[in-house]
Amino acid sequence: MFEWMSDNRASIAAVLIILIFIAFVWSIVVGRRQARLTANDEVFGDPVRTKGGWYWAVTGVSALLLVWFYFSWGLGRAYFPDAANEMCQCAKLEEAVSPIKAALPIGSRYYKSTLLASRNSAQLDDLLGKLPGTVFTDAEKAELEEIINQIRDLIANSSNPENMVQETRDELVGLAARLDDVSVTLDAGPGDMTPTSEALAQPRWGTTFTEIPILPITSRGMLFDSASVEAAEIASAFNKVRNRFPENDQLIEGIKARINALKATNAAGTFDEKVAEERVDYVKAVERIFKRLDDGLIFPAAALQDINTAISGLDGAASRAKGGLRAVDAVFFPGAGIVKSKTQCTEQGSARWLPKPTDVVATFARLANPDLENGGGYRGFPLLWWDWMPVSGYVAFFIPDWIADVWPGEYASHGPDGTITPNFKDKLLAFAQGDVNLGYVPMLDGHIWDSLFRVIVALALGIFLGVPLGLFMGVSRFFKSFFDPLIELYRPVPPLAWAPLILTIFGIQDDGKIFLLFMVAFAIMVISARTGASGVQLSKIRASHSLGASDRQIMWNVILPNALPEILTGIRIAVGVCWGTLVAAEMLAGTTGVGFIENIARTVSDYELIWVTILIMGILGLVFDLVMRWIIKKTIPWRGMG
Amino acid sequence: MKSMVKAAALAAASTVALAAPSAADEVNVAFFLEWATPNLIAKTTGDYADSMGVDVNWVDFTTGTAMTEAMLAGDIDISYSQGLAPFVTAIQQGAPLKMIGIAVVYEANDCFVRNELGIDGSNASELEGKTVAVPLNTMADFAFRSYMTHYGVDISTMNIVDQAPPDGAKSLADGAVDMACLFGGIASAAGAEVGTPIMTSEEKVAAGIGSFDVVSVTEKFATENPELVKAFMDATEEANQAYTGSAEQIAALAEASGMSPENSKAQIDGFIIPTAAEQLEQFFGPNGIAASAAASLGLVFQNDSDGAMIAKTIDGSFLE
Repeated sequence: MFEWMSDNRASIAAVLIILIFIAFVWSIVVGRRQARLTANDEVFGDPVRTKGGWYWAVTGVSALLLVWFYFSWGLGRAYFPDAANEMCQCAKLEEAVSPIKAALPIGSRYYKSTLLASRNSAQLDDLLGKLPGTVFTDAEKAELEEIINQIRDLIANSSNPENMVQETRDELVGLAARLDDVSVTLDAGPGDMTPTSEALAQPRWGTTFTEIPILPITSRGMLFDSASVEAAEIASAFNKVRNRFPENDQLIEGIKARINALKATNAAGTFDEKVAEERVDYVKAVERIFKRLDDGLIFPAAALQDINTAISGLDGAASRAKGGLRAVDAVFFPGAGIVKSKTQCTEQGSARWLPKPTDVVATFARLANPDLENGGGYRGFPLLWWDWMPVSGYVAFFIPDWIADVWPGEYASHGPDGTITPNFKDKLLAFAQGDVNLGYVPMLDGHIWDSLFRVIVALALGIFLGVPLGLFMGVSRFFKSFFDPLIELYRPVPPLAWAPLILTIFGIQDDGKIFLLFMVAFAIMVISARTGASGVQLSKIRASHSLGASDRQIMWNVILPNALPEILTGIRIAVGVCWGTLVAAEMLAGTTGVGFIENIARTVSDYELIWVTILIMGILGLVFDLVMRWIIKKTIPWRGMG
Repeated sequence: MKSMVKAAALAAASTVALAAPSAADEVNVAFFLEWATPNLIAKTTGDYADSMGVDVNWVDFTTGTAMTEAMLAGDIDISYSQGLAPFVTAIQQGAPLKMIGIAVVYEANDCFVRNELGIDGSNASELEGKTVAVPLNTMADFAFRSYMTHYGVDISTMNIVDQAPPDGAKSLADGAVDMACLFGGIASAAGAEVGTPIMTSEEKVAAGIGSFDVVSVTEKFATENPELVKAFMDATEEANQAYTGSAEQIAALAEASGMSPENSKAQIDGFIIPTAAEQLEQFFGPNGIAASAAASLGLVFQNDSDGAMIAKTIDGSFLE
């Protein structure tokens, strides 16, 4: 079932998107109708106005999902499941011709030859201007000037079409013709090309670690794939073409000999250090420029005209052969399209960091699978499951080992025959360490549970310690003045700042993480309880006092209920902040937990996993908040009615 | 809805603007400060620009992952001394990059065992069941796994805790963990205070456990400007050959890397800089170290990694 759903995630998404779209439109219709119905009866600012309105929630969620589907290319994949594969084949052709394009004013302003000629000429001018007068003799200076002029000639000769030998011309014309042939093939269309069975057997788009199947699975893809093979051959032949001719060859030999002569003079080493260095540097600089020009890379612009035309023609043909794919690409695949790297085709643009909703669900399902042997869970630990936990473990948690140490007597040592007979002290130690069988109880287990456990324990501690303190601070001068500076001093410090301390104080177990979360929750609870307590109307307290209520009764029956709205709002805020701090807490010493997964996923930029953890935390936070809202509704129904 | 369309159009327009290819009038090279490779001297003297014939912009980065991101965005053409780990991660994510050279080879990161335990290579199997702090998915993680495989220790019996090196060093000092695998000078020094490396430098060399940084380049730049890539590698080779360790060079290096001369010297003395010929022979040849290390590192990061895929992005042709 899961396999089938995973393989057909594109089709499932197609149905889902239609449903979401229908929900989106329908909820707007319902919402508008409802708004018209109540428009006349409501007063602006009346809190009742915000009651209900679930249809607008549907609008919001479905709009968010649609945007997510669109920018993650989930929409494109749902309705054009082969498009990525075809675009990949087009990208192959693009990649194949890129070495040729780099030489032409396509995508850049100038021919590469133009750039080479102008850049090197400028550098020669520069070099000539810097010719050091003192370290070279006049004869040598003349020689160097001559060399530089000859290098200039090299550029000039290469740029003259008349100097080109027929062989090179023929080569370029031949390559242009071959490129034209590729264009013709593209224009002719795929004909009866059929994808290979190997290609068809590839996993579908996005279902495996390799995102996009690389072998062509459509006839149009086949066409582009074969064109790219031919184009790659042409490109490699083009890369080997050099503009060599006898005139320049002679010039090159001459320059080489002259430079070598100068180098020999330098190497003879009759100069003092400073001068020698300057001489070597200058000759080296000349040689460097010469080296860039001695391999015939500069072509006359006119000679590349044919190739330029052929490439433009090829681009046109490719664009025509793409046909409807171009529109699909532009509309449904926002971003830079698909890029072919050495080994695979990858999505670029927003789809690179925003995984498709269906993929996120699939990754979540894979992690949630409790069958660890078959690739479920994360790093050998399930996401959320249950397990038989030994009762002895809990006993060991509560009974410290030192009880066995302080028990009178000595631990047993091994006897002469090598066996050990444990005495009572040994058995007590085993009990305290949990090495006994006391039966098993089912217990929740997994990354989510571990995170949940930390948050819940920290929240509970924060509430049970923070609320009483806050209430007392609200009613007692001593408590207020004594604790106010302490709380206010630590409250603004970001939790992450405590992290290094907590590691040293608590070590790597759960208690440190819980303490970090507790500190966050505690401050919020104290502040909210205090605000609640100090905000109680004095008349209520005086009334109950004059009716004979004791201090305790005033606290329980007047102050606490009146502070409840503030306290519950505080809890809601604390829940949110605790989830927000969880990632930092689990970074301290990561062993399990949702934050741990996120920290690991970040190191390898596994965006799918990152989004899964974001969603898990978001959804858990939402569930907590819904529970809190329900509690608020049940416990303080009078809120907002006063 | 309208603003959504607008946002989409804006996004499309901005990507088009980004995708506009740039003529290679200048080359952008990423490098690390505080990482004293000999070619930094050539960077300062401008030798790179001279031999490549174009302007070379050197941009310093703090992590190899950031280098990858910048290369994907088209801001960087060549990354010098990118770590093997971020490179492999990038390849696994389908980034169009290739490895064209080895920048430096250095000792693998150390795993420090708490001194009280008295565990070293001879009784390493006692590590089973112990708690280890490892910065997961880093070169230190890779080194940790290499050591344990070397000594035949079963990792599944160990309690592995993901900790950043400074935290790991602290936990080791506190006794919260029994072994900590660390990288970085300060964390390693702190680890050495309370622990002993599980493997000495000589043992590491003998066991063939080491790390190296790579020179990586975007596919686009390599196909469009092969001569510039070649010139870059030649200039690097020249700079490496010219390095003799003289006081003058150390001073220049210290200035370029932003460290004190003493630290620069200590750091570069720990580096092995393979020559182009050595790289071709040992790293890029058939069964070369580059491919095998990248593939096994890939397995650490993703269990379903395909080693052959990573090998395709390794190209020693620019060294020839």
